[in-house]
Amino acid sequence: MARPPPDPQFILRGVGAAVNTLHFSCDRPGPPLLFSGSAKGAVHIWNLDTRRSENVLDGHGGSSVIWVDTLNRETVLSQGRDMRVCLWRLGEGRGEVSDCVYTGSVGFCQCCVLSRGPGGGGSSLLAYASEQMEEVKVMELPSKVPVSSLKPDKKLGMVMCLKMWQPDSGEGPLLVAGYEDGSLVLWDVSLGRPLSSLSVHPEPVMCLTFDPSRQRGVSGSAENIIRSWALDGQLNLQQQETVELLNPGISQLCVRGDGKILASAGWDHQVRVFGWKKLKPLAVLKCHSDMVLSVAFSDHSDPAKRLMAAGSKDQRISFWSIYNQT
Amino acid sequence: MEAEVRLKITHCVRAVTQSRDTEDVFDALRTLSGYLDDRCSDRGEFCRIFYTPLLQALVKGLNSDWFHKMPGSQRTELWGSFFLLGPPDQALLTLLDAITSSDPSAGLEHLVSMLEQFLSTGRTEVLLWSRCEGGAVTDSLQVREVLLGRLVGLPPLTANKLKTDTPLAFLPQQYFSLLANDILSVLEKTCKALRGGQDCSLGFVGQLLGKACAQGHTALVFRTLAPRLSANTLSDALWRRVSVKLLENVPDRWMEAVITGLVQAVNDPDTLSRILGNVVLKNQKAQLVITHKLLLLQYHHKDCVLRTLLGYLAQDDERRPLLCQVLRALCQAWSNSSAVKHTTVEQQVYVSKALLLCLTLMTPQEIEHQQEVLRQCMLNGMQCHLDSSVVRVRRIGMVVGEHISQHMDTPTARLSFQYEHDEETRALLHITQPVETKPDSAHSPEPEMEVKTSSPPPSTESSAVASQPAAQLDSDLDSDDELTPYDMSADEVKQTCAPPRYVRDCLEGLLTSEDPDRVCACLQAAEGLLRRHISTTKEVSVEFTKVLLHMEDKYSTANFLFHRQRAMVALAVTDPIPVSEYLTTEFHSLNYNLRQRLDMLEVIAVAVQELSQPVTNRNESTSLVTVVSPDQPGNDLKHWRQVVEERIKSKTRRFGKGPTQPPPKATPNRYAPVAGYFFFPLLRNYDRPQATFDLLGSDHLVLGQLLSTLGLLMHLAIHAPVATQMGKALLDFVWALRFHSDQSVRRGVLMCVCAVFLAMPSQSLLQELSDDLLDTRAWLADVAETDVDSDCRNLAVQCLILQERSVKKELHPDSQM
Repeated sequence: MARPPPDPQFILRGVGAAVNTLHFSCDRPGPPLLFSGSAKGAVHIWNLDTRRSENVLDGHGGSSVIWVDTLNRETVLSQGRDMRVCLWRLGEGRGEVSDCVYTGSVGFCQCCVLSRGPGGGGSSLLAYASEQMEEVKVMELPSKVPVSSLKPDKKLGMVMCLKMWQPDSGEGPLLVAGYEDGSLVLWDVSLGRPLSSLSVHPEPVMCLTFDPSRQRGVSGSAENIIRSWALDGQLNLQQQETVELLNPGISQLCVRGDGKILASAGWDHQVRVFGWKKLKPLAVLKCHSDMVLSVAFSDHSDPAKRLMAAGSKDQRISFWSIYNQT
Repeated sequence: MEAEVRLKITHCVRAVTQSRDTEDVFDALRTLSGYLDDRCSDRGEFCRIFYTPLLQALVKGLNSDWFHKMPGSQRTELWGSFFLLGPPDQALLTLLDAITSSDPSAGLEHLVSMLEQFLSTGRTEVLLWSRCEGGAVTDSLQVREVLLGRLVGLPPLTANKLKTDTPLAFLPQQYFSLLANDILSVLEKTCKALRGGQDCSLGFVGQLLGKACAQGHTALVFRTLAPRLSANTLSDALWRRVSVKLLENVPDRWMEAVITGLVQAVNDPDTLSRILGNVVLKNQKAQLVITHKLLLLQYHHKDCVLRTLLGYLAQDDERRPLLCQVLRALCQAWSNSSAVKHTTVEQQVYVSKALLLCLTLMTPQEIEHQQEVLRQCMLNGMQCHLDSSVVRVRRIGMVVGEHISQHMDTPTARLSFQYEHDEETRALLHITQPVETKPDSAHSPEPEMEVKTSSPPPSTESSAVASQPAAQLDSDLDSDDELTPYDMSADEVKQTCAPPRYVRDCLEGLLTSEDPDRVCACLQAAEGLLRRHISTTKEVSVEFTKVLLHMEDKYSTANFLFHRQRAMVALAVTDPIPVSEYLTTEFHSLNYNLRQRLDMLEVIAVAVQELSQPVTNRNESTSLVTVVSPDQPGNDLKHWRQVVEERIKSKTRRFGKGPTQPPPKATPNRYAPVAGYFFFPLLRNYDRPQATFDLLGSDHLVLGQLLSTLGLLMHLAIHAPVATQMGKALLDFVWALRFHSDQSVRRGVLMCVCAVFLAMPSQSLLQELSDDLLDTRAWLADVAETDVDSDCRNLAVQCLILQERSVKKELHPDSQM
């Protein structure tokens, strides 16, 4: 008899709106933090030690926040439906918008930020969907210099989701974008041209994530199938395993930092956990009473403390400790 | 012949018969043997007149002194050689006569060994050849008959006498292959003779072949004959002529046996065509056998026989008109509604196969000429096949109909049915692919071959499977096995609509909701709700049943029929009387479709089965029943039994005491009190045809189902007080339906009769049957023998046994003890 599925460690309430996006920041000195973006335009900063909200950033004028990320210790990025990406300074108890990027995108495509590390002079790249729905633009931060514009030749429809990473080979960063017609395109960001494309879903790609260490990604759509794909040596996209779920609709996918497990946020109120190597179904976590919109793994340096968080339309954030034994 | 020679021979023969002097006899024999020499000018005369008497004298001499005094070395010379050197026909007849008329003795042994020698030295071949050679011997009709009879009957004649001591050579196996070889060598000689310009007659050999086949040795003869004939006719045109001549010479009365055997022994049309030539055109009997008997009447042959036969007809331009004739006959047989009803399904399959094969063998031009026939066949045949209540017949109809419509000149309107393929339809379709199977059909063990050739792919697959784990071993690091999954059984398809919690909500949802999800949720929850809330269910049971009965699968809900039936069964079980009244009244009323009526019967059947089962403890209704039961007069009994058991327990020491199982608790049958409510209303009104429902007329499908349901109701009512009345009513009802033309109805009738015999107490059964006892028995025996449906036959046998048993029980109550 298999073990019964675990209960959540704890649940955070009080966002007061659907929780659209989550981001952990736990590897720095100081208390571990979780950023959550809500449908009412607020970014909550949660202290995971006290399990209380430390600060609420409200800079999008009530428009839904669809993406939150941190650049370094003190800079937070948040993207709202007001077509802006805000940079927040947080140090010393402050909480104010330091800069603002106008994206012009009315879609739901989440941005992606890539820190260039010490080699890049502390700068980073921000990829976002632009005014023209099918175009992805990349700009350098904080200088806001446009780096490239990635626009497919064929008509693929809106950009639905994207992921950018720096390959180990040391060449320019790569970006994979999912489009409205269900296809994926791999872009070379510095050259601004597509490397390969692959049609994976019959419906728009709702979410995707990529694991650079394994050269392998996974994407989900409104259907009930999660499909994984990989990059071969020539940087071609190739279909790999698929896994079928009982209920359709996936809002977000997330691979844990150690590449062991994959979590999916489902429209059927459930978080599902899979083995990342073969997409073997491992657990079905029931807690929420509405669509799960976001799922994230913490970046704790101590594996035993690692957490998984799921944010749902039922305004709650649940925390799980799962497969933490090494 | 000179008179003195004749006198001398007569003298010698008399000496052999009568002389007491051994030397005299020996001299006489020596003289006589001279006449058997080929060079002797008097041989012919001697053989004609004196040979048989001499042999008879020799046989008689077996008991005489001179034979015993004859040294062993001389016995062959002076006694045996006479049998082997003279005309073989006379020798054979004399030997067989002698063997059949003598008692077991040393003489008999000599005769038997003589006969063995006769066979082994090829004298039968000489005999056959003597009848073939250019008009050599002409026997009278009687002699020929006798000779044929003896030749073919040698195995039984000898076996009757010798019983277990029969030598191997006389057994049919050996003997008939010997005979077949003889026939072959005679044919060979005939070929040679014909090449030499000599006339030959194959009349006798043909008759011999016919007689052997007619007596049931077809397979043995053709096992040897067919391969050699096939091989020889392949290269030699003369052989072909000889073989055709041989078959033409088979008399009509034995033609059927020969042709049947030949067709079975030969495995492809080419061979049959070479051996048989155009006999089918010249010989009326052969034509009848090939175009009628083998195709329409004998349906036990394998597919390859059909292929051989029809392929043979299709091969020659002269024979092709026969193929068209066969097609017409097959179409007629296939579309005959009486045949569909009254022949076995196996025969129909056979005819259908023949029809399909015939169509594939015909050219488009020929089919063009037969359009009218095909159209008629389709019109009549499709209707009666689809009308049938037997699934197999319907399916045959669909397959054949589809195929025929492909061959008709209406390319736009082709039939296409939806049916599931099974073994039979696949076999039917398989026969329409001649190109694939033709090379295979040259071998006789075709099925085995196919099995063998088809088996390798799985084995390669399995090897691939075997190699896969090895590959997986390499990438073992790449698996998720280190992570043990949690229990995921709670993961289920999400319902967008919450299931109802009250019976009335559920009813309301089913009645009014337009939301597919809600209807689905209500339907799925219905059974559980109805069984849990018994009192509420009783309040709304009839209304709920009505709603369910009239419900349609508007939203193509998953498992719609299953859930609806379960819910209706739950209603019928929880509140049997009103629900059964409602269902049984509605069954005979207006404006229901067949499906709904069948649903009602199904619900009744399932509910009654559940009611008649003993209640298990988990079931909620247990409480209901057990509340009723305590006032049974068993309290005292239980009490002393408990006391005794406790005493025994206290004084007994048990080793390895297992968990003692409590004896099954007795609970009253829930069905017995309500059986009548289910049963009798169903019997009412059956003979009142209505505008939409004619139970005794065209709706025999429902009638068959009604009868099986009634049979079930009767069977489950065993030991119920009402069983007697039920049995009487049911027997009255089914008596009129005994000879219904639909087999499902007949099956239902027999089921009912069976159930009555089983469930009705034998005393009242005999009272009821007393007048019709003999009639019933005669009817059942007739069905058991002649019905086309095997289920009906089995059921009839079952009924007969049951009837016999109850009669015996009633007449000799002691013998049962």
